[in-house]
Amino acid sequence: MTKAAPRLAVKGLRHLYADRPVIEDLTFTLRAGRAIALVGPNGAGKTTVLRCIVGSAEPAAGEILLDGSPIDERAEVVRRDVASLLDDLDFFPDLTAAEHLDLLARAHGNATPEDLVDTLLDDVGLLAAADQLPGSLSSGQRRRLALATALVRPRKLLVLDEPEQRLDTAGVAWLAERLKAEKKAGTSVLFASHDQALVDAVADETVALTPLP
Amino acid sequence: MTAASGEGPVVFDPADFGSIPASKELRRWMRKVRRGKADRTVWQQFEDIYLVLFALAMLGATGGNVVLNLNEKSAACTSASCGWLLDTVPLILVPVLVSTMLRVLLSIGPVSASRATGFWLLATPVDRASLLRPSYRLVVVVAAVVGALAAVVGLALFGAAWSAVGEAAVLTTVLLICTACATVWAQQIASRSRWALRIADGLLILAAIPALVLAFRASSDSSATNGGSYPVLGLAPLQSEPLLTQGEIRLLVIGVVALVLAVALVVITAQSLDKLSRQSVVAGGELLAGMAGAAITMDVSLLADVVSGRHWRMVGRLKSRRGRGSRVQAIIHREFLRILRWPRRLVIGFALLVVPYAVAGTGYDVLVPIAAAIAGFAATRPLMDGLRSVCRSVGLVRALGMELRDLRIAMSVVPAGFAVLWAALALPALGSWQVAFAVAAGVLTGVVRQASARPPSYSGPLVASPMGAIPPGLFSQPLRGLDLLILCLAPVLLGLSSTWILIIPAVVLLIMFAVTPKQA
Repeated sequence: MTKAAPRLAVKGLRHLYADRPVIEDLTFTLRAGRAIALVGPNGAGKTTVLRCIVGSAEPAAGEILLDGSPIDERAEVVRRDVASLLDDLDFFPDLTAAEHLDLLARAHGNATPEDLVDTLLDDVGLLAAADQLPGSLSSGQRRRLALATALVRPRKLLVLDEPEQRLDTAGVAWLAERLKAEKKAGTSVLFASHDQALVDAVADETVALTPLP
Repeated sequence: MTAASGEGPVVFDPADFGSIPASKELRRWMRKVRRGKADRTVWQQFEDIYLVLFALAMLGATGGNVVLNLNEKSAACTSASCGWLLDTVPLILVPVLVSTMLRVLLSIGPVSASRATGFWLLATPVDRASLLRPSYRLVVVVAAVVGALAAVVGLALFGAAWSAVGEAAVLTTVLLICTACATVWAQQIASRSRWALRIADGLLILAAIPALVLAFRASSDSSATNGGSYPVLGLAPLQSEPLLTQGEIRLLVIGVVALVLAVALVVITAQSLDKLSRQSVVAGGELLAGMAGAAITMDVSLLADVVSGRHWRMVGRLKSRRGRGSRVQAIIHREFLRILRWPRRLVIGFALLVVPYAVAGTGYDVLVPIAAAIAGFAATRPLMDGLRSVCRSVGLVRALGMELRDLRIAMSVVPAGFAVLWAALALPALGSWQVAFAVAAGVLTGVVRQASARPPSYSGPLVASPMGAIPPGLFSQPLRGLDLLILCLAPVLLGLSSTWILIIPAVVLLIMFAVTPKQA
């Protein structure tokens, strides 16, 4: 019997800013239904690793495989399977919170997302703000909406950069439960975090990064 | 400061702080502190001033020369229709100017202050009217300059006599100064601002009436161009007239009365500056700061983003409307709903149809396609906000799960429909459906290219220029989009055959939607 390829495999990843290496020979694998937390101080390269995985940054060397195939964000299967939340998300200024989620679900092939959107808005505590435009949401509410964008669509791999940012204590607790449920449903979760409680609650493994000299 | 006895809290007595300083003293203090940190020599500052004055003089001389030449040519036309055109232009120009001035000034305040000024100075007991006076003076001066320039250029281009141009300049200047004062008064209460914006809309409709009359009457009057004569106009008659004609005395009296009224209004309005809320002046300051950033990078799209972003922030909340279908169909449907969400843009877009008809009405047939294309561009560009949002956000493209090229095609469907409809409605003025196709293609490719523009990159190597190092593509930024518009219209402007008028825009369209745009 052949063993299934890991959901995500990172092998010998290297990344440079100008001539300065920020990631050197990073290797780890993430299986279906498991979670890995990237931890380390500011400047250690956590976000850069995530950016390389979602295709926002080009690695100088190394290999990133999704289900055994090289990851390429131009491939439809990658856009379908990888849901990410990095700090580069912007919003349409003239679409309400509910309309953002509705559009995203439909863009991913869900022609009747009304109930899903309502449930998710309720889950992230934005039901009362469903008709608000992004410019009128608080930074915490915008963060919750951003989290919801990753959850309203199909996904096999969740890539999250400090998802606990700007969430209150109850919000972080909700997030931990939600990510555990995602794992149970077979979704793999890769996230960078400074919140030790969230890491302890969700991560099966941690990858510790340190700033390179 | 008086400290309470024992370990109790420190009690502040306002009397211990002395009198509140005048704003002049604060400004003097800030000037002194800033001068202490200045790292530019007097000579360097003189060079900057010299460059600005030299550029203004060059622009003034060139522009003035062009206006004088065009005035001479227009004044040579002695037909009744030319005179009638000259009578109609002010009826269009004045309401458009006042409406635009109302809208622009109200969008920035008009009295504005930076966020820092709002926090550090306007929140103090220092006299607010005095703190805001420099900004108010600037608003009045800008309104006056715009009024004078618009009247001089607008009337001189149509061959008006010198006395008429002077009279129009004085009256328009006074009118726009009064408009500026009215906007300051409106800024004090939100409901006044809303009413002022309604008046601005009404004035636009008012301007459309003479424009439509001009457009539709011109064709029926075309025979008159060879008929009755009209007095010779132009700037030249000034020399042959006596020192003070009856008309000039009238101009002098009207000018003096109008100026006195304007000065009185400016002084009275200045007294009411302390009624402006901190929030109302800071909001405009933030908008100006954003616009200044966009202007420095010559990013027209960013400029539009700043204005539209502020509009939606002020709207705040809307009734959500669920989409229809999935994937590309869902995106197209959402774009349709999104565009309907700001109906004023559609109304203005369709109102701009007056432009090709009005130009055709003046008899300058050669200018009709280019005027139609520019008006169509202005009408369609505001509908591209959706594409603009995805082009500036890598995260949004990733979240939507489609390639940017596919998103660009999907998000262009509704604006493309608008552009085609717009060109079809302009068909009688354009003359042939081939020209209408070229205009629609030029408008569509132009707006898509401009909306997909990436900001100039300061991270790569810079290019040497007489103004110092600049990022590559900085100066071409404002022309993005207009280049494709001209390319699509080139066969029309060059008088090529109908086949070329169809082929070149079709190829431009194909290439535009086949290539994958680069992401920000």
